[in-house]
Amino acid sequence: MRKSTVFFSFIILCGLLLFVILYRIPVSQKKSEAMIASNAKIVRELKLTDLSLFTEARYTRHPSMADLHSAFQDHPLALDHFPSGSLVTPPHFYNEAP
Amino acid sequence: MESGDGGTRCRHEVVSVIRLLHVTKSFNTGKSNQFTAVQDVSLEIESGRVTVLKGPSGSGKTTLLTLIGCMARPTSGRIMLRAIGSSALPGMEEADEVEITSLPERFLTGIRRTAFGFIFQHFNLVRGITVLENVMLPAYPTGEGRGAVHGRALKLLEIFNISRHAHSRVDLLSGGEIQRVAIARALINNPSVIIADEPTAHLDTKLSGEFMEIIGNFKAEGKTILIASHDPLVHDSALVDMVVEMRDGRIIQDGSGR
Amino acid sequence: MNSSFERHRNIVDFALSSLLRRKAKNLSLLAVYTLIVFVIASIIFFIHALKREAMLVLQNAPDMVVQRLAAGRNDPIPLGYQEKIAAIRGVSGVEPRLWGYYFDAAVGANYTLMASDKQQLEPESVIIGSGVARTRRLAEGDMMAFRAYNGEPTLFQVQSILPYASELVAADLIILSNRDFHALFNFPKGVATDFAVSVRNPRELTTIAAKIVRQFPDTRPILKREILRTYDSIFDWRGGMMIVVVAMAVLSFIIFAWDKATGLSAEERKEIGTLKSIGWETTDVLFLKFWEGSAISLSAFLCGVILAYCHVFFFSASLFEHALKGWAVLYPQFKLTPAVDPYQLAVLFFLTVIPYTVTTIVPSWRAATVEPDAAMRS
Repeated sequence: MRKSTVFFSFIILCGLLLFVILYRIPVSQKKSEAMIASNAKIVRELKLTDLSLFTEARYTRHPSMADLHSAFQDHPLALDHFPSGSLVTPPHFYNEAP
Repeated sequence: MESGDGGTRCRHEVVSVIRLLHVTKSFNTGKSNQFTAVQDVSLEIESGRVTVLKGPSGSGKTTLLTLIGCMARPTSGRIMLRAIGSSALPGMEEADEVEITSLPERFLTGIRRTAFGFIFQHFNLVRGITVLENVMLPAYPTGEGRGAVHGRALKLLEIFNISRHAHSRVDLLSGGEIQRVAIARALINNPSVIIADEPTAHLDTKLSGEFMEIIGNFKAEGKTILIASHDPLVHDSALVDMVVEMRDGRIIQDGSGR
Repeated sequence: MNSSFERHRNIVDFALSSLLRRKAKNLSLLAVYTLIVFVIASIIFFIHALKREAMLVLQNAPDMVVQRLAAGRNDPIPLGYQEKIAAIRGVSGVEPRLWGYYFDAAVGANYTLMASDKQQLEPESVIIGSGVARTRRLAEGDMMAFRAYNGEPTLFQVQSILPYASELVAADLIILSNRDFHALFNFPKGVATDFAVSVRNPRELTTIAAKIVRQFPDTRPILKREILRTYDSIFDWRGGMMIVVVAMAVLSFIIFAWDKATGLSAEERKEIGTLKSIGWETTDVLFLKFWEGSAISLSAFLCGVILAYCHVFFFSASLFEHALKGWAVLYPQFKLTPAVDPYQLAVLFFLTVIPYTVTTIVPSWRAATVEPDAAMRS
């Protein structure tokens, strides 16, 4: 088989695969609507405010509820938690005037 | 001069195919190392004949060949080409003459591809790819169907007895085999003019004799052949119709040999 | 057959033969290129999907949460404030929240404890998140021991486990009744951790918040949009680990392009001269170089993106788990809903394919336009 045939077939195949993937996204999203709805219900009933992503410290677990100064929260020598501290930066609204 | 009547021979009388009029080629014009390779050369190459350019190295043979083969433009002078086969230029009659010195590159390349087959002194094959691909390379940009080109290439390899190397890399072949690949490559687009630059420089006597045999076959098919060589085996051969002697970029003797 | 198409196909054939001449070098280049696209695309997909899900789910968070600060630190809020806040015009409800953290020394995990009387909890029973169940290997009906405020062990029975699908919001949650919460922590009566306030008209949130602060200067209201914006700024490109990853990717692309952009070797130039002498035009040579570059960058992009999609949405971005987990013992296992931002994908395409292709063509330009015999003499 010609090399260009192999190459173009590969590219077209991958392109089609990518296209199918992207095309199916709305379908997948619809399927998970129920799951998102049930999570939304839990949030509503328990009045939750944060995702349970970084459970190692209080201010990483509830970044939206955290004190204004995230460093030194527990102790002056307790520096920012790494790596979650490098992934969740203090939200911008902290810098705005109240 | 008797002309062979086998194969694809054009039906014209013996007419001049390539005409050079006061052609000069200088390199590095205007700089301190300006160098004139070809000086005021006027020449007529006859169709269906074997013409040899004879002279020491540095006499401008190679440069002249590149000018004729549409690979470079002369600094001054004109080169005229009679329409060689119907594939040369679209819309041209066979009897028309065209001045290639003023053609844009695209047409020049088209002519180079279809009308000329060039065999280089150092063969200039592309390393790392197969023999077959090397032979087919000149046909790639023509857009011709691959099946046809493939078939022609295989036939050419057969003619030159190198079919068994079709899928080997060129790096692995012997000198004589490489030259035959170079010759096969020159023929892939069915050119009517074969140009060879010092073809026997890297060959022993036996292989040189074989090469001249191949040239004889081309001549019998009606192709025009132009060879630059200072090898007596070539320019003293019985096949040669005209010997042009060159020195320091000029023609010092232009004779129809025998 | 259309001769222009054939011409391109032939040129591609030769471009591929040309690349295959240095199989090891080009294959490893392709592999590394694909890897980088994979990492960047995984990050893009992960962040986009996570943020989208966060937004969708946290839309249901309380309109406003009112905390109280004492000496700059969070302190419980007196229940006495509740009536007065509820009396503000526009407020439709004020509900005290009782919640806190519990550190489980046995496994080293932090849990979030929430008190709620609306969950039909039996006395001394808890509802736990599926992450807690996983970490402590608990099933429904098992007993769970807590250390109370005074160090005494207290037993709770697991009444039910929250669904696996809820890990993203509730992996570390433990829900218990108000009474049990007060008993476990000796939490003072008459105060709550904070208030969840709901308002009738969301546009009046700022005004109401201002009124609350004016009435109770020691409070700090947090609006829902501020809660949502927290999750807008996670994984920001400008900080921390992300910038290291981005810098490494950019550096890699520069290195790839540098190898090409620093001009052609003498061998490559001679080869172009050869091609031109056997009848290849300048455009043919440029197409050849274009396809040499595109073959690698296009393949790398497509493979990298498809692999990244599978990684993030079929394998839950398991390669990122270590980076995200950090020092936490309890890390949620969640499957993200597929979501792709086509704009980001397009940007990635232009960043990965175009510069590399350009740096393959540009150095060849000069060599391609030179007269063939000059190129061959050198």
